[in-house]
Amino acid sequence: MNLSEFGKNMIDVILQAFASIVFDPVTLGLMLVGTLAGILAGAIPGFTIAMGVILTLPFTFGMTAIQGLATMLGVFVGGFSGGLMSCMLTGIPGTPSSVATTFDGFPLVRSGKPGLALGLGLWSSFFGGMISAVILVALAPQLAFLGLEFGPWDYFSLIIFALTITVSLSGGNIVKGLIAGLLGLFAATVGEDEINGVARFTFGFDEFRQGFAFLPVLIGLFAFSQLLTDVEDGKRAKSPLMEKSGTLVRVEHRQAIAIILKRWINLFRSSFIGIFTGILPAAGGSISNILAYDQAKKASKNRSNFGKGEYDGIVAPEAANNATAGGALIMMMALGIPGDIVTAVMLGALMIHNIIPGPTFIQDEPLLAYGVFIAFFVAHFFMVGLQAFSLRIFLLVTKIPMYVLASVILAYCAIGVFALHNVVFDIWVMFFFGVIGYFMKKLGFPLAPMILGVVLGKLAELNLARATGISDDLLLFFLRPWSLFFLIMAVISVIFPFYQDAEKGSKFSNIYVPASVFALAIPLLFMESITRLIIALIMIGISFYFVYKSFIKNKALIN
Amino acid sequence: MKINKDTIVSIFLLIFCGIMINSSYYIEDPGYQGMKASFWPRIILWLLSIMSLVMLVKSFADNVDSIKAGSFSKINYMQFKNALICFGMFIFFLTFLEYLGMLIGGILFVFGLLTFLGGFSIKKSTNHLIISVVTIGVMWSIFTFGLKVILPEGELIRIW
Repeated sequence: MNLSEFGKNMIDVILQAFASIVFDPVTLGLMLVGTLAGILAGAIPGFTIAMGVILTLPFTFGMTAIQGLATMLGVFVGGFSGGLMSCMLTGIPGTPSSVATTFDGFPLVRSGKPGLALGLGLWSSFFGGMISAVILVALAPQLAFLGLEFGPWDYFSLIIFALTITVSLSGGNIVKGLIAGLLGLFAATVGEDEINGVARFTFGFDEFRQGFAFLPVLIGLFAFSQLLTDVEDGKRAKSPLMEKSGTLVRVEHRQAIAIILKRWINLFRSSFIGIFTGILPAAGGSISNILAYDQAKKASKNRSNFGKGEYDGIVAPEAANNATAGGALIMMMALGIPGDIVTAVMLGALMIHNIIPGPTFIQDEPLLAYGVFIAFFVAHFFMVGLQAFSLRIFLLVTKIPMYVLASVILAYCAIGVFALHNVVFDIWVMFFFGVIGYFMKKLGFPLAPMILGVVLGKLAELNLARATGISDDLLLFFLRPWSLFFLIMAVISVIFPFYQDAEKGSKFSNIYVPASVFALAIPLLFMESITRLIIALIMIGISFYFVYKSFIKNKALIN
Repeated sequence: MKINKDTIVSIFLLIFCGIMINSSYYIEDPGYQGMKASFWPRIILWLLSIMSLVMLVKSFADNVDSIKAGSFSKINYMQFKNALICFGMFIFFLTFLEYLGMLIGGILFVFGLLTFLGGFSIKKSTNHLIISVVTIGVMWSIFTFGLKVILPEGELIRIW
């Protein structure tokens, strides 16, 4: 197929995907409801976007794959704008993704400009999402082409990297993070082995032969345990969700758009920070919004205004967190590796429809893949359109006490999980993992590595089996350039928390970055591509420059 | 040296790994070529054992104050009260699901939980009853009629 034919085909597919979303009133209606639900889930403190997406999942069982994914994307995108609504009107971030928005959003509201503050947040989210959607369409197919180079060794190492970076970025104790990841991997081994068809760890129970279905585990670990935490404090659980529920305001759309467009450099920089953070497995909006805020502050001429209602302080985190969604989707669509918990749920939703995302996903299921891209675009328009309406509902919902919501949602979880396979055993699984998740959180274990372990466990084993089936030489994991690249990334990510804790100027902190860059350049040198060779040489140059710079700095300090 | 939460958890994890590694030796080997079914779980379990051991050693070595480490005498067991109520109610709901079905069982579960967590008075209980009947009724209808999911009917309804 030549380039023009390829282009024509791609345009055809995009048009068909566009029609399947925009001209299908059912899909549009579902997306509308999804976006509204997402805005509300994002706005309620204690609820996260991931929880909103997880709770949407059972409703998608009866839908087609594209309808289900479009609905979940609506929740995903809507969630980010819901988060900004509560943080601006009440000073309490609805989700961790909107923490940095509070720094300047709330002061701007208190200075008497609530409509402008909301407008800035809303349109920054919109533009950030649009930029990431364009990058998503452009980059995901390219990354998927790159993924076609991966053999089972490389894929296995990529999964190891995805797990280690999740551990590293989930914060807290790295040993506990690794234990959580390993427990997740172990949970995925229970039941019939996919390669030999042999039962493992069933202890004579027939129900265990099917293994733990991924979704009950996920809903248990994430939603069930979160609800238990939410009702822990009896007094708080009985009071309304928000003491200060805010007032209805009119959003200043035109003024906000004009202000944002004047700050286009900040907008683009923050969006790219968001996209990059989203591409990294496990690093979500909670990290990108703070990173983007920090960079905007460093780059601003009005640094002293930050924290007092500075416009740039709202544009940066809001553009970044919506862009993160696009970044996370790139990884899921191109390589089948979830960028965060939300994309892990979407991966699960695809599996329900017997679709396994991976490097060939965009080629094999072009309509579905481009449908996801289009739905991501469309959801942003819904997000803007629904803001005024959702603000009214938000003000009503905030009057409900948490214990009422938690009780109803716990029952809903049970019904939703049952709907997956029509077996009560799944509800027991959800309950069991809910209890485990609750106590793990209490004991300081991060849940994200465990969830990713459950999601990626079978894939890791399958690729390990394929690799050892082709050759029993385990050295291939270190000799194949991509595999080595990911294993080095895994080691770097495990050491990263120690680098964060290390004193600035210490030997370790001086050597960590150049050594990492140098180590990553080595596999690139062996990739038989001129471009990659040039990149590797540049990386080696950079690492030597860093070493030289720290040497000069140390010398100056001694003198 | 004080025993803290991490010590107990790591010992529990080591025992768990021991049991699972032992049972991995009972995994059937059909004799096919390629990776054995016990290979991957055993790698995970050995790594888990090593990590648990590291955690155990760290829990002894860390000279953290007892409150931070979670000395058992300092734990406020009352903080788990609501969570334990939820566990209890959920186990009750699941155990009797076969007899009560999803509709009646769900309503009773939500009503019970609302009453335990929110308190009891005639006004509150009336509200709780309305909330549980409406929410579970709506959800049950959506799944039964909208998504065509056959939810557990319960023997009680069958007898009627």
